[in-house]
Formats: sequence, C-alpha cells, structure tokens
Amino acid sequence: MRALSPNQFDQRHHLDSMLMRESLLDRGVQQATETDREIVRMLPDTQVVKVGGRSVVDQGRAVVRPVVDALAAALPIHRLIIGTGGGARTRHLYSIGIDLGMPVGVLAELAAADALGNAHILGTLMSPHGVVAIPPAMFGHLLPLFIRSVPGVIFTGVPPYSLWEHPSAVGRIPSHGSDAGCFLLAECFGSSALTLIKDVDGLFDADPKCNPDARLIPKISTAEIRERALPSLPFEPILLSLLDGARLLRKFQIVNGRRPELIAAALAGEHVGTLVSAS
Amino acid sequence: MSFTNLSELGRSLVHGSLSDPEVLKGTGREPPIRILPNATVIKVGGQSFIDRGRTAVFPLIDEIVENLGRHQMIIGTGGGSRARHAYSVAVDLGLPTGVMSVLGTFVSMQNARLINYLLAKHGIPFIEPAQFGQLPHYLATRGAVIFFGMPPYTFWQENPALGRIPPHRTDAGAYLVSEVFGCKRMIFVKDEEGLYTADPKKDPSARFIPRISVSELKAMNLPDLAVEHPVLDMMENAASRRSIQIINGLEKGNLTRALNGEPVGTVIYAD
Repeated sequence: MRALSPNQFDQRHHLDSMLMRESLLDRGVQQATETDREIVRMLPDTQVVKVGGRSVVDQGRAVVRPVVDALAAALPIHRLIIGTGGGARTRHLYSIGIDLGMPVGVLAELAAADALGNAHILGTLMSPHGVVAIPPAMFGHLLPLFIRSVPGVIFTGVPPYSLWEHPSAVGRIPSHGSDAGCFLLAECFGSSALTLIKDVDGLFDADPKCNPDARLIPKISTAEIRERALPSLPFEPILLSLLDGARLLRKFQIVNGRRPELIAAALAGEHVGTLVSAS
Repeated sequence: MSFTNLSELGRSLVHGSLSDPEVLKGTGREPPIRILPNATVIKVGGQSFIDRGRTAVFPLIDEIVENLGRHQMIIGTGGGSRARHAYSVAVDLGLPTGVMSVLGTFVSMQNARLINYLLAKHGIPFIEPAQFGQLPHYLATRGAVIFFGMPPYTFWQENPALGRIPPHRTDAGAYLVSEVFGCKRMIFVKDEEGLYTADPKKDPSARFIPRISVSELKAMNLPDLAVEHPVLDMMENAASRRSIQIINGLEKGNLTRALNGEPVGTVIYAD
C-alpha cells in the first residue's frame, strides 16, 4: 500500500486502500466487501457450550453435578468453551432495576456480574478437571492461548455490550444475553458447534411447562420459527437474526441438561434435542 | 428459590418467561430515568473531520473550550482513514467481523487520545468503557470527557447483513451513550452541512435535507447516508434520545448553535 498524502482535490489525509475516500455507509461499498474470500476459523477444533443460568445452575446440586460430570467426561475428546447465564439473580436485578427506572444499558452492564458469578461457580466445580474460569477483560484476546493450555475454559456468556446494549423493540430487557454472547463468540472464533444446555428437551410447539400436550420439534429453521410465531422460545429471540447473519455457524442444538447422558451425544454431533438452522 | 418484596412485574420477571410478550411489555410501561439530562454527546468524525488535521480540528477544539462551563460535553471520536485501511486489509485476509471490530476500536481510541491531548490543559480526561462509572464526576468537575466512539463489542460484534465490515461503529457507539444516559442532545460533527439526497462530494445535484423523520428517511432508501444505518433502528426503539443532529463542524459557530438547541444542520427524529 502506498503512503498517505493530502491530495489536491481533498484536504483529508487518506491511506491508500480499497476503502479509501469511500463512505462506509454506501451500499455499493458494503457490497464490495461481500467477497467469497473464506473467513479465517481461529479455533475450528473447539465447541461452545452454554450452560443455562436459571435452567441449570440455579437448580442446585441434583441438576448441576451430573451436567458438570458429563462435561468433564467430554474434555478428553472435545476442547470446550463454556459460557453461563445469570439466571434468577439477573431476573431479580432486572425487576429492581426497572422499578428504579434504569435504562436497558444499565441493566445489561450490571447483569454481567451475575453471569460472572455463575462462571466462577462452574469454574470451582470444574477446576479439578483442569477447566478455568477467565475474567472477561482478557478472555477474548487470550482465548487462543488458554484453550491450548487447558482442556476447557469458562467465561461469562453475556457479551460485553454493557451500557452499549441496543434499545429493545418492546420493553427494557437487554436483548443480547448469554445465549447471544455464546453464539457470537462461536461465530467469531469459528468454533465447530454451539450447544445450549437447558432444562427442556428442545423447542416445543407450546410451552411444555404449562401445556402437557406440547410436542417437541426436533429440527426447525429460523424462517419456520418466525412463520409459526411460537409463543415462547427456550433461547433468546435475537439468536434468530444472529443465526441468519452468521457466516460460519449455521446451526445450534438445544439439549436437556436433566438428561446428562445426552450431552456427550450432542457434543459428538448427534441429533438428540432440537436443531435450529439458519434460513 | 424465591425473592420476597417484589412487585407483580418483578415476580413475573423472576418466575416467568422473558419471551412472554406481556411480561416484556410490562418492563417498558414506565420510562427510564434520565441519568445525565444536562449533558450533550458530541461525536467528532474520523474521516470527515479529524483526518483533516489542524485546519479542521484546532478551531473545533477552541469552540469546545468556549463552551466549557456552559454545556456538559461527552465527546466521542470516529475512526476514519486508518480504520478503513485496517478493514480493507482484514477483508482481504478473510478476518471475521469481530476481529475487525477490535481493529476499529484501536483507531477510534487513537483519535480520542489525540483530542484528549489537545484538551488536556483544561483538565479534560479520556475514559475507557471500564471507567464510565467516573463519567458523572468528570462532567460535574471538568465539564467534558473524551471517549472512543466504537462500542466495546469487540469479538462479539454482529455480522452485517451485507459485506464484512462491523455494522455498529462509532456513530452507533456514541448514539448509544446519549440514549442510555438520557442526554439532552446527540450531535454528529461532520464535514458536510448535514444530510443530502446523494453524496455531495460526488454528486453536484445532491439536495440538502434540514429536517426529516426516520420513517421518511427509510422510505427514501438512499444509497448512502450521513449516519450508520443501525442508528435509525435504535432511534425507533429508543426510550430517551429520539432525535440526532448532524452539523458541519468546519463552519465556526455551528457547534455552539447546536449546543444551544438551534436547528443548524440536519435533524433526524423518530416519529
């Protein structure tokens, strides 16, 4: 690339490059960056696993220990990047925070601490297996080092959106929670799979906790989910648009942590819960 | 496990589903407080302003200093030419969008530090996202702070619908600061009078737009826009900051007029 210079027509100092002197807001310029150049997969031999906050960690010993054992048993076979959510404490924080008039960005900023707490809870339980919980400030940059040094790492699944959380279309619940954080991490680092460990078998055509006739949907696309307007999803709704925008991670699987024997199967790529795929 | 003393909404938040539309609607019933209602967020463009060097930047610094004590200013910076260079290298090498977001952050940080050193003798600090807890104190004592405009999404930046470049850059990052703190105004300092029907640098028939709603702007479906597209969507969902102003900072006095609430440049508002 050539050096910079103010030219005779334009007083701005530019650096010569494909995007020089261009508006990045121009659709044509954006299109020009839509190349078929393959995107680097930084950590293709890893998998991201989200362990639910409310659905797993909050359920106590009877649910958590078997999940921890199942993940530990998988460590010799798979390199695991494990994220967690904030669970009941985050829900409580939202309720008090909203009552006090806090905007969505403040709720997102403060909620990250609950997920971090759960990351340290899981980190303590998995420490005997060599898994380490890593603080968010250094996690992204040092992940390639950590994941080669230990069999698995744990992070707060909540992405660092904090005060910069987007205003929600309805209400004030932050839209980028730990499901979104785990998804975006897996997409950016090119992990081979994302598994969400929850307390249901997968996605149902009605809420299985309220409706005993609810039927499991083993496989579904984002377009079908939107079309059927399912009343309640066992994951953050923003995953639908994130999945459609993804370049590397085109599906994820939901499995039931109350059936820990399914975890090994899911990590081995077997279809044991609901597979959600991009459209 | 249960929590006592919760309101009805609180109980449904703790025990119910966050994808229940009724629960979600309940969380937006009361508007949020305005945390810093007397502050104005000013975003200084990278390519459009700082890259022009001292002829553009020094008069703007003077104007910021003149307004110290009259207006509380939270000043964010864009990336500009070096961000474009980094993005074009990254696209060529096939780097993920999240990594480009990290690279863009570095450039807007450099620009923030440059503005910071120009204002240092007035005691104006630069703060990173982790230091935003001190922002109210600096505003109250010094009247202004500098931050980098890039939102701190880094590796967690979403992919754009089109292309590879991070969709949420310094316009979105600065705007979100004005929204979350319920600030009085959001002013984008650029090198054009405001919004045009086309890029006035390339098309002499481009017409100026002094005031327009987000929905009108979206309906025009302009190929280019003076502000990042996601900002328009965010404004429609915003609880506090429902309008933004784009001004030509190369013209002396425009920033002061905008700080005083005058309709200089282009105002874009959510319906």
